[in-house]
Amino acid sequence: MKKKDKKSRAKTPGTTRRGRTRKIKDKLLQLIMPAVLITIIVLVVISSLLTRSGMQEMAEATLESSVANQADNIEAWLSENLENFSAIKLAIEGVKPDDAGLVQLLSAFVGTNSNSSNGVYAASQSGRVYVGEGADLSISDPTGQQWFKEGLTRVTMAYGEPYQNADGTYVISASGIINDGSEDLKVAAADVTLDKISIIVNSGVKMKNASSFLVNKNNNMILAHRESSLVSTTLSSSSSDPVLAGAYEKITGGDYATTQMGGYTVAFEEVDGTNWVLVSYIANSIILQDVTKLILILLLVGLVAVIISVLIRLIVGRVIRPLASITENIAAMSSGDFTIKVHNTSNDEIGVMGDQVDEFVGSMRNMLSSISDESVKLKRQSDNSDAVSRSMFDASQTQEEAMANLNHTVDELALAVNEIAQNATTLAMVVSDTKENSDKASESMKETVDISQKGRADMEHLSEAMDKIQEANTELVDSIGKVGKASEEITEIVGMISDIAEETNLLSLNASIEAARAGDAGRGFAVVATEIGGLAKNSAESAQNISNLIDQVRALIADVVAQADASAQSIQENSELIAEAVKTFDTIFSNIQTTSDVIDEMIKGISKVDEVSSNVAAISEEQAASADEILETSKNMVEQAQAITASSQDVADNSHELASTSDTLTGYVQRFKITKEEGSDL
Amino acid sequence: MRRHFWRKATALLLSAVMTAGVFAGCGGSGGASGKGLKIMYSTTTLDDFRNLLLEGVKSAASSEGVTLDVMEECSTPDAQVAQIKQAASGGYDAVICLANDPTTALQLEAVAGDLPIVFVNSLPASEHLEADKYMYVGSQERDAGTYQAEYVYKKLGNPKELNALIFEGQPGHSGTIGRTEAVKDFFKDNGVNANFVFCDYANWSDTEAAERFEIFLKTNQSFDAVFCNNDTMATGIVKAMESHGFSTADIPVCGVDATAAGCQSIVDGGMQFTVYQSAKGQGEMSIKTAIALATKGTAKDVEGLSDDGTIVWVPFEPVDASNVKDYM
Repeated sequence: MKKKDKKSRAKTPGTTRRGRTRKIKDKLLQLIMPAVLITIIVLVVISSLLTRSGMQEMAEATLESSVANQADNIEAWLSENLENFSAIKLAIEGVKPDDAGLVQLLSAFVGTNSNSSNGVYAASQSGRVYVGEGADLSISDPTGQQWFKEGLTRVTMAYGEPYQNADGTYVISASGIINDGSEDLKVAAADVTLDKISIIVNSGVKMKNASSFLVNKNNNMILAHRESSLVSTTLSSSSSDPVLAGAYEKITGGDYATTQMGGYTVAFEEVDGTNWVLVSYIANSIILQDVTKLILILLLVGLVAVIISVLIRLIVGRVIRPLASITENIAAMSSGDFTIKVHNTSNDEIGVMGDQVDEFVGSMRNMLSSISDESVKLKRQSDNSDAVSRSMFDASQTQEEAMANLNHTVDELALAVNEIAQNATTLAMVVSDTKENSDKASESMKETVDISQKGRADMEHLSEAMDKIQEANTELVDSIGKVGKASEEITEIVGMISDIAEETNLLSLNASIEAARAGDAGRGFAVVATEIGGLAKNSAESAQNISNLIDQVRALIADVVAQADASAQSIQENSELIAEAVKTFDTIFSNIQTTSDVIDEMIKGISKVDEVSSNVAAISEEQAASADEILETSKNMVEQAQAITASSQDVADNSHELASTSDTLTGYVQRFKITKEEGSDL
Repeated sequence: MRRHFWRKATALLLSAVMTAGVFAGCGGSGGASGKGLKIMYSTTTLDDFRNLLLEGVKSAASSEGVTLDVMEECSTPDAQVAQIKQAASGGYDAVICLANDPTTALQLEAVAGDLPIVFVNSLPASEHLEADKYMYVGSQERDAGTYQAEYVYKKLGNPKELNALIFEGQPGHSGTIGRTEAVKDFFKDNGVNANFVFCDYANWSDTEAAERFEIFLKTNQSFDAVFCNNDTMATGIVKAMESHGFSTADIPVCGVDATAAGCQSIVDGGMQFTVYQSAKGQGEMSIKTAIALATKGTAKDVEGLSDDGTIVWVPFEPVDASNVKDYM
């Protein structure tokens, strides 16, 4: 298969085109390859950095936890023993034994604590030594011993500084004053060796590959170290070991934070209850071992990825190679060359594809030549139709102009009709208004008639009342006349009374004179005569008064009669005037009545005009509407004529376009090569 | 020498921070208001200083509008664990804890659930502190010891050698360890051959300190100065010294806390020096820290916060006869 592909490629002309195709493929690969490489490198760098810092942090945390755990273990071990010793000391303080008793008590504890086989021992300020039986211990000059001096500074037992005992081993002593109240102070003490602590320091490291050592920060002495030669030496800045030198700096500076020094991660922890600092360290290369491994693996994976992508590239190249010749043929086709001949040498899918392409080229050639013939015919036909459409266009244009003229005329007509309609409407409105006004006038007139009728009636009532007053006045004058007569009669009567009174008076005078003559017998009669004389005088006076009063009454009556006559006269005059007024009213009333009738007639006339003008307005509006409709219709007609013109223009354009399209088509078809000049391949 | 330099630098820095704090205060920064918050105060057994601290917490709580529940004093770690457990289910927003035993911090944190705990005065191990969750409010214990040693060093005329007594508080307490170590380190750093002819625990107690002092006297050693981890022990020592005819004017006795009794002793010519541990300041800062944790979830704006964000430092102040009146 590969051989056939190679042959087909070798036989195909146009190597420059194949070069271009390859370029695209290579371009893609050129982009992808560096991208893959960069991605791999970035991944390796990022993951190694992340892993590195993560590992570092983790290692620091582990180291810190390990060193804290070791310190706790040392502390726990120390305090466990310290409690044991303190309990024994407390027992002594409780019992307060004498010297022999004390030795006996101490003996009981010898060998009970494996960490301190000699148990608790004691010494007094005066130099007495108390050691339990069985203890392997010889103490001389007790008060000069370190443990004694240290113990003398406290009652609570505590550990002192490490020192070398008589056997040469390093021990630390816990010591304190026995508070038993005696004047000769005794110090109790017990020793533990540093062996156990060394075991915790050297073997109790909880982190793989980490190491620890213990330093007394008071004098920088190394108390425990895996390298036994370093134990009991002093830390110094000049030490060749970077961790020891660095630890010296940190411990003297009192800085116990975890730190990096000389390629090591170093953690510190103070041991509570002592002056010791535990130092734990681990080489960074060990921590980062895994990181290095990871980087290697990542690089390997990256390399494999690159190799795989190169392989894929090669395989793909091989598989698509036969397609190249077909691609070339298709490229030739796309540039219009249908003279090509596909040489098929392959029997696989690509070979079938080549055959199909060849067949396709053949049928395309036939098709193109017939298209060419058809397009020439088409051109001729379209030229004809172009000419026809042009004449049609001219005709429709003429029609359009005529329609436009018609439209104009109808438009003017519509305008005129509209004007008439408007005028008629205005007239109808005016008439309608006039009718309303005259209706109002008629109503007012009727009201006036009513009022004047009422006025006339009132006048008549007044005239009647006047007559009645005149009668009453006459009656009054008559009555007064009667009163005058009566008063004259009264005057006469009074005159008579007056005469009688005068005679009576004379009579009484005579009686008085007679009585006086009678003397005493007439004395009583004289009194009566005097009385009668008095009465007569009074009657005369009263008659005179009445006469006076009647004179006054007569004078008054004369006045009343005169006034009654005057009023009768004025009443008479009034009555005449009223009669005159009634007459005038009658005249006015008849005049108003006439006017009202005239107005009614006028209203009737106006109503008729109103009806007529309304009708005229309605009719002329209908006319205007009809004119508008006609105008609309003629407008539509004009539009249609315009549309026909436009359409015929379009038809003309289209047929023109068709003609030019058939030209173009002919041009295109002519561009295809369907005959070969050489004619050898066809 | 180096430590000396650092101490000076720290002092400078502290004063700078405090000055800045004063100006910030003028600017009206203020603390978060704790209105509506419910905070539990759990304390170990009370003494002079712890009573002052309690008063400081109470007054800060009332001025911030916090509802403060002061629990019964705990004589055992178990009692305190039970109290904190109660806080977890009692609708509290935070707990302020003066630990009975600071080594139980982890257990206290576990039973507190999600509640933030502000440990005050007694410092738990650093691994049990966590920024914005389990915080500590207190004073740099070492500073107290350094101030004491500095005073004595000057007072005795920069001696090359001295015999000193140290009476320590309770074993394992941060105050005990820090103050004692700082005294020892000061002399070591200044090249003084200091013999600590007696150095033992007296559990903050005056009678225990006096009793230990009596035992020391039997060793027939001379002494030039007495360092006590607190004022209570110092006043006990002063009494014992006076009864044995020692001159407290020649042999300086130093305490810590500047309690009323301590200050009175300085006025009366007993103690010479004490360090004011601001019980009020610690109380106030513990309330402020608790409010910040409960409302904002962070103490980053609280004054005196350490670099790692786990501790709020309340500065110590040295007190002697010259300024003792300011602390009474």
